[in-house]
Amino acid sequence: MVKSTWQSRLTSSLFVLPYVVSFCAFLLIPILYGVYISFHNFELLSDTHEFVGLQNYVTIFTPGTYLFEQFTRGLWNTLQFVLYSVPLLVILGLGLAMLLNALPSKLRSLFRTFYFMPYAVSASVMSVIWLMMFDSNAGFLNGLLGKIGVDPIAWLTDLPWAWVSLTLTTLWWTIGFNMIIFINALNEVPEDYYEAASIDGANAWRKFTSITLPSIRPVMLFIIITSTIASFNVYAQPFLLTRGGPGDSTRVLLMNVLDEAFKGKQVGSASAMAILMAVIIIIISAVQYKIAYGRKE
Amino acid sequence: MKKTLLMILAILLAALFLLPLIWMVSTSFKNDFEALAGQMNFIPNKPTLDNYIEGLRGELMNVPITRWITNSLFVGLAGTAIVLLFSSMAAFALARLQDLPLRKVMFPMFVGSMMIPGVLTFLPMYMEFNALGWINTYAALILPYSSGAFGVFLLYQFFASFPKEIEEAARIDGANKWQIYSRILLPASVSIMVTLAIFTFMGIYNDFVWPLYATTSPEMRTITAGIAMMAQGSYTQAYGKLMAMTVIATLPVMIVFIVGQRSFVKAITQAGVK
Repeated sequence: MVKSTWQSRLTSSLFVLPYVVSFCAFLLIPILYGVYISFHNFELLSDTHEFVGLQNYVTIFTPGTYLFEQFTRGLWNTLQFVLYSVPLLVILGLGLAMLLNALPSKLRSLFRTFYFMPYAVSASVMSVIWLMMFDSNAGFLNGLLGKIGVDPIAWLTDLPWAWVSLTLTTLWWTIGFNMIIFINALNEVPEDYYEAASIDGANAWRKFTSITLPSIRPVMLFIIITSTIASFNVYAQPFLLTRGGPGDSTRVLLMNVLDEAFKGKQVGSASAMAILMAVIIIIISAVQYKIAYGRKE
Repeated sequence: MKKTLLMILAILLAALFLLPLIWMVSTSFKNDFEALAGQMNFIPNKPTLDNYIEGLRGELMNVPITRWITNSLFVGLAGTAIVLLFSSMAAFALARLQDLPLRKVMFPMFVGSMMIPGVLTFLPMYMEFNALGWINTYAALILPYSSGAFGVFLLYQFFASFPKEIEEAARIDGANKWQIYSRILLPASVSIMVTLAIFTFMGIYNDFVWPLYATTSPEMRTITAGIAMMAQGSYTQAYGKLMAMTVIATLPVMIVFIVGQRSFVKAITQAGVK
């Protein structure tokens, strides 16, 4: 290769410059600034910010304090949502993909579009549609139950129905995404594997557990991790549908973080909560990755 | 027999997925009284366009729906344009320009940044824009999306696999880097750029939490943030009007989604393959 001049290196750098500036301004600097803020008693509307060191973090970990309650309860509620939604998002997502693959190929793309369509609406539109579906008096679901003589259900204001509703809407909204990725993975499994297994007399279940599942393992992991992260960041559904209720039982961690910052005006402690939440998300992803790949090495 | 059962299951599931969307459209043509009556009629008894007419005129509660939808379209298009430009230039340099300083450091850093949870940057980014006095401006609604690394990642793979001979021939003919980028690589990557554009536009247009907090005045809201405000405020249970708003909000993105579905699917499977 010809040795490059400094002019050449400069012009090469100019191509990455716009993105690098944006990367720094809207990713790197905010991350560092967030850490800085979390070390201060940082009020939203005040100009002076007192340095408090690790105090915000210490308070979050001190039982009995307001922040401890906000963080642990929010975290518990978020974890519940993750536990309810992620297994269904993964298993039913795979189920839908397998169902589609079993359909005649002419109908496949039509039904794929049907199942994937809800993914195209925004979080707020999705929530408002379901607000109406779940309405205790005029809602579609209670109307349907009425027809078959079942008492109306307080979908959004009773437990466990509030969780059922949040999980159901999330499935409806996002499962198409997982389905699409699963379809792609299923299509990459070589057809000969199945043929060979058929010759050996393997039944459908045996083919599924010994060929399909091992073959799509990396994609499965990708979906488990992305679904977990997405469910961890849940906000719109409880914010608009249950409004955190009944009581505070569906108030998820992100709601508490943003309320601490924007309603409580305490950006310092809110940032500490946000950083801890991000650390938890990263740890969970890393653990899932380790469990899936650790044994091989 | 088995085929028939699968077919029935597929149709039932399709009904489940489509029903809320059909119900949304149906309710948008009902007056609020009928919408609240709790009947299960998909065809309105007294079909009306009032929800759309009044909504679009902004007569009700002084809610500027047309302004919101314009904001959303503008923010989505401007954000997409910036992402396409920045990502393609960066991906070109990273994939094709061997003498780019720090090349080996930057690419893993960008790809790794996709794993960073959004909650980590949300509050400090708000404070950053606040300090600049940019909250409630289009800058706040557009610029943050330009730091996403997905476009760089997607285009890098494409550019890296582009045959070297064509580029070298152009270089011998005296083409400079900008000409190679703009006259050779870009025209050859229209399809992947469309894929990225659809993916990016849908993401920005549908984003909800950031525009909700980054705007403070009614006329700066995007349609997603605006609908959330209405659903929480005086429009609660005004389902006919709310659904007209959600139909209007969903139309542009649904058109993009259905027309560009093939591309969109390609973009997310590319991400999954990683």
